[in-house]
Amino acid sequence: MHGIRRSWTVRTLVTQLLNTSLLVLLSSPLQAQTAREIIDRVDRLLRGESSRGRITMAITTEHWSRSLDMEVWSLGVEHSLVRVQSPAREAGTATLKAGQEVWNYLPRVDRTIKVPPSLMMGSWMGSHFTNDDLVKESRIVDDYDFEISFEGEREGVEVWEFQLTPRPEAPVVWGRIDEQVRKADLMPTWIRYYDEDGGLVRTMTFSGYRTMGDRLVPASMLVIPADKPEEHTVLTYHELDFDISLDESFFSLRNLRARR
Amino acid sequence: MAHERLWWWRVAWRNLWRNRLRTLITASGLAFGYLGAVLVVGVSDGMLVELIENGTRLMLGEVQVHSEDYLPERNMHLTIGGYEGTDLEIFISRITSQEDVSAAAPRVYGGGLLSSGEETQAALLMGVDPDREPRVTTLLSRLVSGRTLVAGANEILVGDEMAERLGAVLGDEIVVVSPSSDGSLGNDLFTLVGILDTGIPAIDQNYALLALPDLQFLMAMGPARIHEVVITVGNAKDSPRIAGALGEFLSDSELPVQVSSWTDLRPELAEMVSLMDASHFIIVIVIFGMAAFGVANTMLIGTFERRREFAVIRALGTAPIGIGRTVVYEGVILGVISLIAGALITWPILVWWHNSPIDLTTVISGFSVAGAQWRPVLRVEYSVQAPIVAALGLFLTSILAAMYPAWKATRVPPADALAD
Amino acid sequence: MRLTVLLKLAMRSVERNMRRSALTSLAMVLGLALLVFSRSLAEGAYDKMIDSGVRMGSGHIAIQAPEYLETGKLEHRLEAGVVRLASEVANDVLRESLLSWAPRLSVNGLASSTAAAVPVRIEGVDPELERAFSDIEDKLQDGRYLEAGDRLHAYIGTELAQRLDVQVGNRFVLTAQTSTGDVEGQLVRVAGIFQTGIPEVDQSLIHIPIDTAREWLHTPGATSTLAFLLNESELTDIGVKTLQLKLENEQQIRVLGWRESSPELAAAIRLDSTGNYIFHSILLAIITLAILNAVMISVLGRRREFGVLQAMGLTGVETGFYVFLEGLFLTVVSGVAGISAGLLFTWGFFRDGLDFSIFMEDGLEFGGQIMEPIIIPHFSVEQLLISTFVVVTIGMISSLYPALRASKLDVAEAMKFEQ
Repeated sequence: MHGIRRSWTVRTLVTQLLNTSLLVLLSSPLQAQTAREIIDRVDRLLRGESSRGRITMAITTEHWSRSLDMEVWSLGVEHSLVRVQSPAREAGTATLKAGQEVWNYLPRVDRTIKVPPSLMMGSWMGSHFTNDDLVKESRIVDDYDFEISFEGEREGVEVWEFQLTPRPEAPVVWGRIDEQVRKADLMPTWIRYYDEDGGLVRTMTFSGYRTMGDRLVPASMLVIPADKPEEHTVLTYHELDFDISLDESFFSLRNLRARR
Repeated sequence: MAHERLWWWRVAWRNLWRNRLRTLITASGLAFGYLGAVLVVGVSDGMLVELIENGTRLMLGEVQVHSEDYLPERNMHLTIGGYEGTDLEIFISRITSQEDVSAAAPRVYGGGLLSSGEETQAALLMGVDPDREPRVTTLLSRLVSGRTLVAGANEILVGDEMAERLGAVLGDEIVVVSPSSDGSLGNDLFTLVGILDTGIPAIDQNYALLALPDLQFLMAMGPARIHEVVITVGNAKDSPRIAGALGEFLSDSELPVQVSSWTDLRPELAEMVSLMDASHFIIVIVIFGMAAFGVANTMLIGTFERRREFAVIRALGTAPIGIGRTVVYEGVILGVISLIAGALITWPILVWWHNSPIDLTTVISGFSVAGAQWRPVLRVEYSVQAPIVAALGLFLTSILAAMYPAWKATRVPPADALAD
Repeated sequence: MRLTVLLKLAMRSVERNMRRSALTSLAMVLGLALLVFSRSLAEGAYDKMIDSGVRMGSGHIAIQAPEYLETGKLEHRLEAGVVRLASEVANDVLRESLLSWAPRLSVNGLASSTAAAVPVRIEGVDPELERAFSDIEDKLQDGRYLEAGDRLHAYIGTELAQRLDVQVGNRFVLTAQTSTGDVEGQLVRVAGIFQTGIPEVDQSLIHIPIDTAREWLHTPGATSTLAFLLNESELTDIGVKTLQLKLENEQQIRVLGWRESSPELAAAIRLDSTGNYIFHSILLAIITLAILNAVMISVLGRRREFGVLQAMGLTGVETGFYVFLEGLFLTVVSGVAGISAGLLFTWGFFRDGLDFSIFMEDGLEFGGQIMEPIIIPHFSVEQLLISTFVVVTIGMISSLYPALRASKLDVAEAMKFEQ
């Protein structure tokens, strides 16, 4: 408890400092160090030390559409728990990740199954987000080199645009990632993922910026696959708290099965 | 004149009877040569059909029907007739109304997870109609323990290797999880009622069989939605033609389907069959050749040995052509008798063998070749061509082979032949 | 019995009646030649099947960890030290019989691209050794096979390339559980694309350089299988036994012959050989008939000759023996001629192989064939001797009945006949 509070304090301090120093830096060219931090921040925007949130995910595919309300807990990148609250017939379905192990709870049959990592399909819960997006442990800044491809005004807003290219042997599938970040509040506006031939594969768009859990975050994320533009997934945060009191013991099989 | 012609036949006949031993020897050569030639084609065809059927009768079927765009990705949403599906009973009876079709069965496929206790395995879920499926494939009969499925009771069958990996035994509860057609994760509890051993690792390790309606329900699909109809036909080798005909019959803009033969679906099996066919062809040629040669040789020698006889006849005043005629007629009579005899011995053997194929399972255990489970049964198939070709070939051979020396003999002046 | 006289008589008789002798022996010659031809093709076909099969599989002889064959898992591997020992011993034992060998490190994993994630079977191979070993390079459709010095290169099947939507040069990521239990990713690029025609292989097999695999999976120097190809498949059994003897103290090593490591191949061979027994029995039956017929017919017309001989002083037994010797002489000569004809014909026309594709139906063209339809005849001394022995025996037995009849001849009666 004590340690967490301390780091929380430190964190807030650092954040404040960062924000103030950034104001100073706004007029001066972006330092490589700071650019790295910005990109890292975007990458870890919704992953804090610990977090809890309520989200709605609306998925539209060629063959079906559905909307899920979920409650999400996370601790670092090793632990996460996702519980579905609506629709009613799926309420209680939950996924627990602890270290390398993943379990699924199915309320309809009241059973828990262990899912070996090799069986994890590409998409997360049938959406256009991948497991990589949400539970990957490695950091974008470790796998990619970046450069600032644009700095200036886009549609009346001052932004940076970064171009990320994978480091020579990084085990990542993208050939290139482009990001746009607003200067004023360091919020990302969009991320575009490309294959190696420069073809756009998918676009992630951010909106609904507001303060949640003491942080400014985009409450809404939209993913559109380039080859099927009529399909998309929208993830909306209704509640989000960071650095809550949460430890590893929370991520247990018992909690997985809890209905609440 | 008629009287005269008939007379030559009588001479021929009497010639044959005079040398019963020689006639018998020659005739038996012809008859058994015929038996060998027809048998070899029968056994060869038998091996081929056995290979095809073992490849198709287990699970593939000889012909399959899918929605036009279903293959090769097998997207679960692309059921026959789209989202509305099609009336199953009507569709199946339309297919079975075709003469060449022996039986048809519907199927649904899904991909998902099976979980038993601590173990989870990825599986290919196959929904089958417990009544119709056995008419088309032998899959449901490859049980090594337990029993077949009963629809509507949430029952499941898995292969022995899958059962082992799951650590599951008969009666155990298996959690089946599968993405369903509305995007949600279908899940339900099933009871393991039977374990399969097909001998094919790809099946025993990965497949799980459920009753069609149970899988449809799990995947949130109505009873009108199926992915595949498997069909068995009368003559497996004829499948491509039958598939084409069925495709035309079923073609309908409202219900775009694709009808495939096993040769399209399993080209490597088709290649193996073709290779086998080709290699047998060589043996068949060799055997036919040897049989024909044997007959020719016998006739040649026989006729050569009769030089003196011909010389005497000529000396007595018969025109050379008369000798030629005698020999030809003899050949014809001999040919006809021998081939009738040949057919008489061949036919019962073929029928008997065809109906009670020799099971070599005690000698060789079953195994799989190109994914086909081959039970070592030696059988014989009827062929329309072989008996006719063999008969004609041997018949002609015997006549031609006798004629040559007869012709030569007539060229030598009788005195010289007699002096020999 | 005046053997030499009889012998001379027999030989001269054969000479004098060249036409008759030739016709009689022709049956034997042709029969033997055909037998040699089809036996050598059949043996050649097996060689081919075994050869193809073991190249795609684990060679004639495979050295693995004891449980590997059953589980196929990375944890059941041979560690560096064991690998060194095993390859040393194997190279020593097999020596000149060794055609080539190849190490392989295998693991099940996932291949992910921007488009899809597909479960795959990853084999780390030594490019130089592997290309000499298997014929997977022949199935190349696009790009190239792996080469020595390659690091982040992968050789994948057409169906996998389609599902991942990648082409030569594109990147994708392999993910698998390493030896430490962690799941780790490895970047690779498509070096080449192959097509074998077998869907399971084209969908899931990937070759990467073994050093890359070892580094990624944290298994320095390890292999899952050491595969050895021999010059002749017949040497497999003795090779396996010798190796097992030499390595019997090593608990972590298991030596397997191809029949164990590829039971499906073994079964396929037996399948075909059963059919072949039937065919060759039929062929032999027909040959027997032909010979019998020829001999019988030729003897029928010689009653007078025998009568004359007996009138001249030969005893019944001697006459019989004379006929038998004639038959024997003919048989031996035919035997030699038959084998030579068979060998010459087969070797002359088909030494480079009989191309089957002419016999195969059209409309069965598809990219990637499992086996090249060319069969090279295999001449086995054992087979030749057996075939010769059989035909010669038939020839001799065929002469027995006529010899018997000749010996029982009533001289006076025989003289009545013109022949």
